[in-house]
Amino acid sequence: MKRVMALTLSLILCSTMFMGCGSSTKDETATTTTTTTTATTADTATTDAAVADTTTEAALPEGVLSEEEATLRIYAQYSDDDTKVPYDYAVKQLAIAYPNVKLDLEVQAQDDGQKLMTYAATGNLPDIYQVALAQIENFKESGNIMVLNDVAKSTGFTDKVYDSAKNILYNEDGNIYAFPYAGNEYVVWYYNKAIFEKYGVEVPTTYDELLAAIDTFNKNDITPMAMFGSEGWITAAFYDVLATRWDAGGIAKLDNGQGTASEDAYKNAADMMHKLVSAGIFQDSVSTTNYDQASQMFLNGEAAMFLNGQWYMTDATTAMGDNVDWMYYPSYDAASYESGKMAWSGGGAAAGYAVNPNSEHAQLAAEVAAFISEKYCEAKVLYRGTPLVAVKVDVQPETEFPAMMQKLQAILPDITSITKFDWHLTNSTFKTALEDQTKYMLVKDYTSDEFITELDNSLTQ
Amino acid sequence: MKKFYSNKLAIIIFTLPALLIFTVMVFYPITQVFVKSFYDWNGLGSGTFIGFGNYVKLFQDTVFQISNKNAFIFSAFITIFQITLATFFALVVSNKRTKGRKLLRIAYFIPVVLSVTVVCQLWLAVFNADTGLLNALFKAVGINYQQNWLSDRYKAIFVIAFVNAWQWMGYQFALMMAGIKSIPDDYYEAARIDGCTTFQAHRRVTIPLLKETYKICLIISVTGGVKAFTEMFIMTKGGPGNSTYTLTYLMYKAAFREFRYGYGMASASILVLECLAITLLLNWLFRNKERQGYKNGKTS
Repeated sequence: MKRVMALTLSLILCSTMFMGCGSSTKDETATTTTTTTTATTADTATTDAAVADTTTEAALPEGVLSEEEATLRIYAQYSDDDTKVPYDYAVKQLAIAYPNVKLDLEVQAQDDGQKLMTYAATGNLPDIYQVALAQIENFKESGNIMVLNDVAKSTGFTDKVYDSAKNILYNEDGNIYAFPYAGNEYVVWYYNKAIFEKYGVEVPTTYDELLAAIDTFNKNDITPMAMFGSEGWITAAFYDVLATRWDAGGIAKLDNGQGTASEDAYKNAADMMHKLVSAGIFQDSVSTTNYDQASQMFLNGEAAMFLNGQWYMTDATTAMGDNVDWMYYPSYDAASYESGKMAWSGGGAAAGYAVNPNSEHAQLAAEVAAFISEKYCEAKVLYRGTPLVAVKVDVQPETEFPAMMQKLQAILPDITSITKFDWHLTNSTFKTALEDQTKYMLVKDYTSDEFITELDNSLTQ
Repeated sequence: MKKFYSNKLAIIIFTLPALLIFTVMVFYPITQVFVKSFYDWNGLGSGTFIGFGNYVKLFQDTVFQISNKNAFIFSAFITIFQITLATFFALVVSNKRTKGRKLLRIAYFIPVVLSVTVVCQLWLAVFNADTGLLNALFKAVGINYQQNWLSDRYKAIFVIAFVNAWQWMGYQFALMMAGIKSIPDDYYEAARIDGCTTFQAHRRVTIPLLKETYKICLIISVTGGVKAFTEMFIMTKGGPGNSTYTLTYLMYKAAFREFRYGYGMASASILVLECLAITLLLNWLFRNKERQGYKNGKTS
């Protein structure tokens, strides 16, 4: 009896060992959103009439671009409204234009592309995947990314990209490796108007005014600026915001190998960051605060200011209404504040939906990737309150753009320069060092000299 | 038994599957780590052979020096914390007169079975500078000692080491309990007859007879400290800055964030060699001196 029990238990244990060895792809049942699809779909079908039907020469029903059958694995972001809403919309549109194509979504991990690298190394890349610029460079060398020039042309995607966004369509070598959906984006300095008014603080234009504001807020137990310092990209963005006051090239210039961190502009920015941290601009637990915590601090009125991308405008407006606005980056004096108003931190890069060249349905996957990217842009305009997309879309927003977005839209033609977001940096050693060192700068006893030394070391590797 | 050992074919058949699995899953990957450490490799393709280039860069890297320093601090802290407390608790719980022994045994082992992620999140909440339990406790009792526990570049490594020590103390405790249970009662009877107190009995009998157990515990805690990673990854991401980096985190950073797999493997190779050296050193320190004496021809 004991032997039988022991054997049974062993078999159960052995079988549970294999339970985790399932397929990694997940068939996400995405939530649907109401759409007014008829007009946009017809427009898409009309403008995409030049798309070749690779499977049959017979006429396709209206609105259908291809009847080819395939199940495509897609690796994409799907974590919050900013990524779920556009994806769900794109999938709904895909069902009309490519009725026999099924997408198996695998949610992208927030892991600096490690999972994708593993897939590439094991020959298991999804058919379509979202990719950042640094990985494009890696995948180019190893033949894990398809050149999309022909498909971009045949689907008319190239013609639909805004001229101002052509920099994010073409890679440095002149090829197209990914279909972008986001246009150039911007680091925005948000502030709570109600808190500023309550404590009689004017919107700072210089660092002296900013320091005075920090002092006032701290005395009244208000965190001057909520910062999610556990994430390196935002601390890098904060540094870039400061650096662009002295050199509009910001961190992009360093990434492009056009400067060193010991130049005056970057040294001054480091000194200023140290000064602001020492003055108590951030909350005490800044090093371990995540995005949700910092965002809640700002939205709940515990912090006076917040730094994030322009994509935050919709959520901020929903939570705070008229109490939220954005300010131009303060600078070292009034003259540089005025002259530097149109030098922004942020940007875009040749990244987006890429295709596995070894996919069984590579050509179809490329066409679907172009389609998904375009529909992503439509959804961002329709539902996410942002006109900052890469592709011209013929849709009108469901609701008026938030006031902050209208304010930003008004100055877009006047913006003279942009830099890069952290995830657009191509020098991965510099990117890692920048993230680590700007996070280190949140510690009051870490000096700007140490920061500059480490950053310069990373640029020489 | 003689018959069993003489059947070499049977031995081969029974050990081959395990040996094969070990070779494929352990030996081959470790060999590849050493081989690829001599390459400039981005994780895809075959890479470019650069000889000792990665090692030269590694030894010049300030982060490598910080990692080794942290390895020493981490190992020392968790070794002293775990072994001291585990010894004390094991001696207390092994005493039949201690009330609630069974409950204590379970309580000390509970942190070991918790997921490390859960443990780290728990202590993140405790150590939070703004809303954490520890600072709130100090404030409540009127002690003005609120600290930025995880944002202090000098203290953060000790704080993380404490979390690890707290979680894994129960494991050392279990090993010591097993060691104590294996000591025959005759020794304690003899000690009682000689007039030993409980403390003296533990000092003269228990602890010396736990020598092999201590050797294992030391190897586990010291090498565990050298290759620490999880707590750094979850709690501080190697920060503030790189002040809580260890060799494993350096390997992770180089390979998975910078796509410099060759450099990461060089760091991993050094880590393996350090752990091997520590194991050999501890084995030598704990060698059986009496047996060594007989080997050298001592007759008395």
